[in-house]
Amino acid sequence: MASEKDPRRITALLAVLIAAVALALGLAACGGGGGGGIEGGGEKEAQKVKLEGEPSGELTISNWPLYIDKKTVPDFEKASGVKVKYIEDINSNEEFFNKMQPLLQQGESGGRSIFVLADYQVVKMHKLGYLQEFDKVGLPEVEKNLVPSLQHPSFDPNRDWTVPWQSGMTGVIVNKDSAPDVRSVCDLFDPKYKGKVDFLNEVREAVPLVMKCEGVDPDEATEADWMKAIEKLKGAAESGQIRRFTGNDYARDLTSGDAVAVMGWSGDAVQLQADNPNLEWRMPTEGCMLWSEDMVIPIGAPNPTAAEAFMNFVYEPEVQANIAEYVNYVTPVEGVKQVFEKNDPELAKNQLIFPSSSFTKNCSATPVFKSEEEEQKVIKAFDAVLNG
Amino acid sequence: MRRRVIPYFLLGPGTAWLLIFFVVPLYYMAKLSLESGFVGSLEFNWHWDNYKEALSEYDTQFIRSFVYAGAATLLSLIIAYPLAYAIAFKAGRWRNLMLFAVVAPFFTTYLIRTIAWETILSDESPVTEFLHAIGLVPSGHILATSAAVIAGLTYNFLPFMILPIYASLERIDERLIEAAKDLYASAAQSFWRVTLPLSAPGVVAGTLLTFIPAAGDYVNAQFLGGAGNRMIGNVIQSLYLSQADYPSAAALSFVLMALIMIAVVVYIRFAGSEALMGEENAP
Amino acid sequence: MSRGHSLSGAWRWLREHAVNIVAGLVVFYLLLPIAVILLFSFNDPAGRYNYTWVGFTLEHWAHAFSRPELNEALVTSLKLAVLATVISTIVGTMMALALVRHQFLGRRAANFLIVIPMATPEVVMGAALLSFFLLLGTFSLGFETLLIAHVMFCISFVVVVVRSRLIGFDRNLEEAARDLGASSFETFRLVTLPLIMPGIFGAAMLAFALSIDDFVISNFNSGTTVTFPLYIFGAAQRGIPVEVNVIAMILFSFTVAAMGFATWQQRRAEKMTSVRPEQEAGAGIPTGAAAAT
Repeated sequence: MASEKDPRRITALLAVLIAAVALALGLAACGGGGGGGIEGGGEKEAQKVKLEGEPSGELTISNWPLYIDKKTVPDFEKASGVKVKYIEDINSNEEFFNKMQPLLQQGESGGRSIFVLADYQVVKMHKLGYLQEFDKVGLPEVEKNLVPSLQHPSFDPNRDWTVPWQSGMTGVIVNKDSAPDVRSVCDLFDPKYKGKVDFLNEVREAVPLVMKCEGVDPDEATEADWMKAIEKLKGAAESGQIRRFTGNDYARDLTSGDAVAVMGWSGDAVQLQADNPNLEWRMPTEGCMLWSEDMVIPIGAPNPTAAEAFMNFVYEPEVQANIAEYVNYVTPVEGVKQVFEKNDPELAKNQLIFPSSSFTKNCSATPVFKSEEEEQKVIKAFDAVLNG
Repeated sequence: MRRRVIPYFLLGPGTAWLLIFFVVPLYYMAKLSLESGFVGSLEFNWHWDNYKEALSEYDTQFIRSFVYAGAATLLSLIIAYPLAYAIAFKAGRWRNLMLFAVVAPFFTTYLIRTIAWETILSDESPVTEFLHAIGLVPSGHILATSAAVIAGLTYNFLPFMILPIYASLERIDERLIEAAKDLYASAAQSFWRVTLPLSAPGVVAGTLLTFIPAAGDYVNAQFLGGAGNRMIGNVIQSLYLSQADYPSAAALSFVLMALIMIAVVVYIRFAGSEALMGEENAP
Repeated sequence: MSRGHSLSGAWRWLREHAVNIVAGLVVFYLLLPIAVILLFSFNDPAGRYNYTWVGFTLEHWAHAFSRPELNEALVTSLKLAVLATVISTIVGTMMALALVRHQFLGRRAANFLIVIPMATPEVVMGAALLSFFLLLGTFSLGFETLLIAHVMFCISFVVVVVRSRLIGFDRNLEEAARDLGASSFETFRLVTLPLIMPGIFGAAMLAFALSIDDFVISNFNSGTTVTFPLYIFGAAQRGIPVEVNVIAMILFSFTVAAMGFATWQQRRAEKMTSVRPEQEAGAGIPTGAAAAT
C-alpha cells in the first residue's frame, strides 16, 4: 500500500516538523514582537524628565482610536528624525489603566513614552507615582499656546505633568427628523422615544448630566444625589426606555436609525454628519460636561526627549489645525482659529471646536469624588445598572 | 520496558502544559477569590463573602445566562440536526464540500460575524422588516433584545453542534437502518428508533460544546443586547478589566464553573456517559 | 404496507426532500453574515462609520493594507497562530497517540484533564490565566502570555480530533506492515503517520482557526499587545474601518483555500487506504467489522 514515494515524503515531512518545532521554540524564546523588549532604562525611579539633546531614536505613543489625523505623525517624523510607533490601543480609561498597572508598579511602561488619558485617570496615576514631570525647556510651544482656560487646572496647577491633547463636550446628539424636540438630557427620558435612546456608559458623564437636568450641580452633589440619579437611570433601563448603554458605539445606533437621540460627544457629530446630515450635536439646556484628555509621560518611558518633542510639535498652530480639522474636538491650542480663518473660515466659526464661553456657560467639568468610599459605591451602583 | 515508558513520554509535554497553565491558574484564581481589597493591597483572609455576594448580587445575570444558553442550545440542535443528517446521508460525493460550507463561515473573525448580525438584525434591515411583516416580531425590534442575543449565540456556536452530530451520524452502519426498513419500519420510525438513538453521543457532545461556552459568553450580549440583557460573562469581564475587583471576579468565575459543572453532571447522568469519554471502543 | 403509497406525489416529494430543503436553508443562514461582511467591504462611507450602505467602491480592496496598526495587529495574530498551531499540534498528537494506543496508569485522569479546558468558559480561563500571570510576575503580559494561553486551549481540541482519527484506524494495516518485517518505528513512519496525517492536518487547521479568532482569552492576557480580534474590538467602539472587512474576507478566502487543499489531500490519503470497497458506497462501516467479514 505504501508506494515508493512515501518513505521519502514522510521523512521530509518529519524533518520539516522538527525544524518547525525548533524554530517555534527559538522564536518563543525571543519573545516575538509587540510589547516585549522592556529595557527599562536607568531612569526607572526618576520623577523628572531629563532631556538629552536633540530628539532621536524611536517613540511609542498610546492613544485613543481616530484621535489624530493622518499627516501629523509623518510630518513629525520628517521634522525630527524620530521614528514613531503610534498605537491606538486605548479604548477605556479604566481598562488601559488596569492593563498598565502591573507594569507601572515595577517602573515600566510597556515601551510607551506617551499615554493620552482622561483627567481623572491621570490624577490617579500621578497619585500612585506613575508619571514623570516635564522639563519645561522642551515645551516652548506648549507654554506659548496653551489656551488660558486650561492653563491652571486644580489638579495640576502649573501643568507640570499633563499637557491637554483635546477637550470635548458631552451633550446630546439627535436625529433632527425623528427627534426634533430633544434639547436636554431629561428629554431622553420621554416615553415617546422609548427604546430609541442610548446613554453613555461613563459614570462620570452619564450620571452628572442626569443630575444637572434635575437641577443638581455635580460639583456640589452628595452621595445621595448620585444615587438618586442612578436610580432614575435604573428605572429607565428596566422599563426599556434606554435601548442600551454605549461607549462610542452609539454612532452605530444613530446611523442605522435604531436610536433617534443619544447622549454623545461633540467631536463625533461632525463625522456622523458626513454620512447623515440629519444628525446634530446639541448643547443641552442645562449645560454639558466638559472634559479633557491629557498627554502624560509615564515612568520608565524609553524616550522622554522625543516624547516632549512630539508634545511640543502638536502645539504648533499649523500642526494642531490639521488635528482639529480631523477630530473636531475642542482644541487646547491658541492660534488654530487664525489658521482656519485663513484657510477654512467655516471651521473657524464652529462652536464645537472653538466654543465661546457663553456657549459653555452652564457646562460642568468632570466631577471629583469626595472620597474613595464614595467613588467605590457610586461606581458599583452604576455598574449594577449597566450589567442589568 | 520501553513500551511502558512511551506513553508517559508522549503525554509529558501536553500534560505539563495543561497542568501549569490551566490547573495551576485555577488554583491561583481560587486563592484570589478568597481575598479582599484591590490590586496592590490584596490580602488573603478567607473572605467567603465574595461568594455570598456573587450569588446574591448577580443571581439575575446567572439565571439569564443559563436561560439564554439553554435556548440557544436548543435552537442550535433543531437547526443543526437536519443539516448534519443531510450531509451524512444525502450528500454523497459533496459531503466534504458541504462540511466546508458549514465550517468556512466561522473562519471570519468572531467579532466581525457578530457585528454583521448587528446590521442584519437592525430595526430597519430587510430581515427585521420581513419578520415584522409576517408577524413574528410584533415590536419591530430584534436588536438590543434578548432575542438578538440568543440568535447570536445560536449562530456562533453552530459548528460545535453540527460537527459532533455529523460525526456520530456518519458512523452509523447503514445496514442497521436497512434492517429496520426490512422489518417494516417507516422512514419516520426508523429515524426515531434507530438513527436518532445511535446519534445520541453526537447530540450529547454537541449540546455540551454549545451550552458551556454560551453560558459564559459576553460578546454577543455586548454587541447584540441592550440594557437588561447582560450575561454573567459581561459582569466578570467588567469586574476584571474595568473595575479591577479581582476577588469578586474570581469568585464569580468559580460560581459560574460550578453551576455549569452541576448542569453538565445532571445532563450526563440523564443522557449516558460513554458518549463523552470517547475511549477507543471498537464495536 | 408502506404508508407512502397513499400520499400524493407532491407531498411525497416534499417529505423526501424536506431534509435537503431545511439543510439548504441552514446553509443560507450560515452564509448570511458572510455575505453582509463581503457586501460592506465594498462600501464607500464618507465618514468613519461603516454601518449603512453608501456606495460601491473597490478602493478599500486596493488599499487593504494601508493602515499600519491594523497590519501590525494582523501580523501579530498570524505569528501567534502559526506558533500556537505548531506547538499544540505536535504536543496534542503525541498525547492522542498515548491515549489511544496505550494502556497505562492515569489514562482516565489524562482523558479528564483534556476535556476540562473545553468545558470551561473562556471568560473563566482567560481570567484565571490573568491572575496567574499577575501573581507570578515572571511573564510580562504580551506576546509570550498570549502564546502560552493559545497553546493551552488548542491542545485539547487537537487531541480530540487526532484521537477520533486514530480510533477509526485500521490496525490491521500496521500488523500487515510488521508481518512484512517493518520495525515499530518504520511502521509508524511509513504506515501510521501518513494515514493519520489528514487528521493531524485537520487538527492543525482547527488550532490555527481557534488561535487567530480568539478574542476573550486574548483580551484578558494581551497586556498591551494588539491582535487582530482585539484591534477589531477596539475599533468597534469608534468605527470599524472598511479595511477590516476586506481583511476578514481575505482571511476567509485563505482558509477556504487551505481547507480545499486539505480535503484534496484527504481524498488522496483515503484512496491510498481504500481496502474496503463498501466505503466507496458511503456505508461507513466500522473498520474492525470489515476485515472480519
